[in-house]
Amino acid sequence: MDIVFQRPETLRENTTHYCPGCTHGIIHRQVAEVLDELGLRERTVGVAPVGCSVLAYNYFNCDFVEAAHGRAPAMATGIKRSRPDLIVFTYQGDGDLASIGMGEIVHAANRGEKICVIFVNNAIYGMTGGQMAPTTMPGQITTTSPKGRDVNEVGYPLRMSELLSSLRTPAFIVRTAVHTPKGMIETKNYIREAFQNQVDNKCFSLVEVLSTCPTNWGLNPNKATEWVEKNMVPYYPLKVFKRPGEEI
Amino acid sequence: MAKKLMKGNEAIGEAAIHAGCTHYFGYPITPQTEIAEYLAKRLPEVGGVFLQAESELGAANMIYGSACTGTRVFTSSSSPGVSLMAEAMSYIAGSDIPAVFVNIMRAGPGLGGILPSQADYFQAVKGGGHGDYRCLVLAPSTVQEAVDLMVDAFDLADKYRSPVMLVGDGMIGQMMEPVEFKPRKQVALPPKDWATTGCKGRKPNVITSVFMDPEVLHQFNLKLGAKYEEMKKHEVRVETYKCDRQMDLLLVAYGTTARICKTSIDMLDELGIKAGLLRPITLFPYPEKELYATAKKASKVLVVEMSMGQMLEDVERILKGEKPIEFFGRTGGLIPAPEEVFDLAKKLVKK
Amino acid sequence: MTITIGNGVELDRRLFAFVGNYGSGKTEVAVNFTIALSKVVKPVAIVDMDIVNPYFRCREAQEQLENEGIETIFPKGEYFWADLPIILPQVKGVLERKNGYVVLDVGGEDMGARILASLDDSLKEKDADYLFVLNLSRPFTDDVKGCLETFKMIEDAGKIRLTGIVLNTHLLLDTTPETIYNGYTKAREVAEKSRLPIRFVSIEKGLLAKLDMSQVPSPVLPLERIMRHPWDMKPVCRFGPKELTKAADLNQKNRKKS
Ligand SMILES: Cc1ncc(C[n+]2csc(CCOP(=O)(O)OP(=O)(O)O)c2C)c(N)n1
Ligand code: SF4
Repeated sequence: MDIVFQRPETLRENTTHYCPGCTHGIIHRQVAEVLDELGLRERTVGVAPVGCSVLAYNYFNCDFVEAAHGRAPAMATGIKRSRPDLIVFTYQGDGDLASIGMGEIVHAANRGEKICVIFVNNAIYGMTGGQMAPTTMPGQITTTSPKGRDVNEVGYPLRMSELLSSLRTPAFIVRTAVHTPKGMIETKNYIREAFQNQVDNKCFSLVEVLSTCPTNWGLNPNKATEWVEKNMVPYYPLKVFKRPGEEI
Repeated sequence: MAKKLMKGNEAIGEAAIHAGCTHYFGYPITPQTEIAEYLAKRLPEVGGVFLQAESELGAANMIYGSACTGTRVFTSSSSPGVSLMAEAMSYIAGSDIPAVFVNIMRAGPGLGGILPSQADYFQAVKGGGHGDYRCLVLAPSTVQEAVDLMVDAFDLADKYRSPVMLVGDGMIGQMMEPVEFKPRKQVALPPKDWATTGCKGRKPNVITSVFMDPEVLHQFNLKLGAKYEEMKKHEVRVETYKCDRQMDLLLVAYGTTARICKTSIDMLDELGIKAGLLRPITLFPYPEKELYATAKKASKVLVVEMSMGQMLEDVERILKGEKPIEFFGRTGGLIPAPEEVFDLAKKLVKK
Repeated sequence: MTITIGNGVELDRRLFAFVGNYGSGKTEVAVNFTIALSKVVKPVAIVDMDIVNPYFRCREAQEQLENEGIETIFPKGEYFWADLPIILPQVKGVLERKNGYVVLDVGGEDMGARILASLDDSLKEKDADYLFVLNLSRPFTDDVKGCLETFKMIEDAGKIRLTGIVLNTHLLLDTTPETIYNGYTKAREVAEKSRLPIRFVSIEKGLLAKLDMSQVPSPVLPLERIMRHPWDMKPVCRFGPKELTKAADLNQKNRKKS
């Protein structure tokens, strides 16, 4: 039996609605595998965002809630503070986390909420059809930056991991990517570390995953992968920014 | 100018420019995102400013700030986003500032769905935000009317120094119709001498909604109340259709629903059933006298909405139990079909 | 093999992608085109690739298309109305088919056309017709300059070369013969400057009978208005899925008041 492609118990059988080549599916799978491996499925509550992954609860085989746009960290706080024994994670896009939900994420991190945040950065608003995100690259064309993102008008793309790791509160903050096989392995390890932190009641953990949106970037999956490497990785360095015990 | 075929959302954006609006702040949400996308292209062409805010909280407070400088400004959103804007709207009303909001309503509650709805009537007409404020609410039923009302919205906001909201169900934003941009009426408007534009040569202007002294705050609320009474006297707009006769049934509906009712009324005519339509164009101030007088000519009243019955409560309030009132509603993004209203009307008249 | 549909519209390819601006009438044209095509050849499939327009998409004409034996490819069930840019995995399969005819209803503007670029690995081997649906009464394509800019924008975003123009100038119910004649004159200029042929003109059937066709010397695809507004009487296909409308309870509150 080929167990490599076995479906983790934490994933349902449903095929996802994600576009061909979209990395949301890979990241779902990795989170599910980690929850399986750590045996957490039955005490986990996921918080879905508003974004392409709004229906994440259809794919995960564990308890899930659906938050208002940007408010997932606040909702997760409510859950975790009411039931510290539960494992709580949010799954958020860049519009959700870094734009409308900036307040919620900063304060959840600063309070040191013992939750995991899976932050999918694809440099665009996928769900609503390709508008500018706070993480959109300089010059990148979107429907609301028809001439390309002009940094003199709307500033530079937000580096959320850097920003959040400047907070004094201990946390685990890492940026990784899933556009290469090596990156996938690393990402899964970081996701595991994040959940392990929560099991050990250690700290707030955020895994930022550079991701692709072939559909709204207008690139086929291979070219989208190249685009991540060429345009995103230089601006969004892949590294561990902060680990508890290694405070600045 | 030649007629153009425009989508409601684009037409609303162009109408704002036509009205001299130079600034727009907004956040994407279906089914109104084309307003932002259109203005992202168009406003820079005419020397204006388009800015995508970080959220609707941000967008609404940005227009608050922009309006304080006397700028013609607006924002737009759809239901979940408008809930977030309620805060700023209350502050704008509470500091006598003109600003225009657009709500292209989608089905709720919660994230709901992206299809058309009229379930934000209460939110628009009865408050939404906190405190004793009202918002002048305009409800177009065609794209052309959306254009005309959008232009008027800016004048009305300036005239009353008040938030004005244009509400359309998702259909109004998404459908395409031919429109023209008529030359603007010149309206005499009060000078914006209250604007905070730097106090060179005058005493500093302060814009605030804080009133620590209860007596002063009470006086301010009385002043607001008087302003709303003025709106009721001067700003009511209403359309009636086939109401110049004794009616078996009076339909009351606004927006897209009103257009559906017109089709149903024409179908009823063929059966010899006399029905008419009263269509409020201003939802606040509501055409109270007009409804009361028109209903006198009808045996029954039927309210049709894409909601569970929100405007219905105003109709009941105004008719004070003097006429039997029936209701037909669709929610979730479903739109009543003309045949459905027709079938129900037939039944009601037979009874 | 060359086939002819409508009034003299000649086709020699098997994959047709309709692109254009928001509201240029792409969907209406694509649906009518597909139906006309299926009367001449089989099998025919239509793919709704519109991730841009949330309301009026060709999936709304599902029943009519399927009655004609046309295969329809778009999200069904709960996702029918989803505000999600869903590109079905089947799409790639359909594009890579060796036989049959495929029509793509692509979303509006460059953003909609971007989908084509994201699928270029399946499309690049194909000899496809990329037809720009042009309504000269729409903002941004109401003059020659605007048209040329838009063509370029769409070609760049979709990584395609347009192969022709479908002229679909109209003002819905306000369309007069002059709208068509003036549109045709302007379109000729656009065609000349862009070096793209006017492949056919799409004209609503009712209006077609009233026209002096010597003023519109091009092949014609007669159009049946398929997408109607919800207040139209007895439409072919009203906005909103029929099953939903029927199944839902009438929600009617009968309030007894004295
Ligand atoms: C209050 C509110 N405003 C706006 C929206 C519309 N909206 C839905 S998803 C989204 C952005 C999603 O982008 P992102 O978080 O980057 O996720 P992705 O779709 O790219 O995965 C927006 C603006 C909403 N649902 N609620
Ligand atoms: S639109 Fe982009 S983010 Fe959304 S599912 Fe498609 S590829 Fe993924």
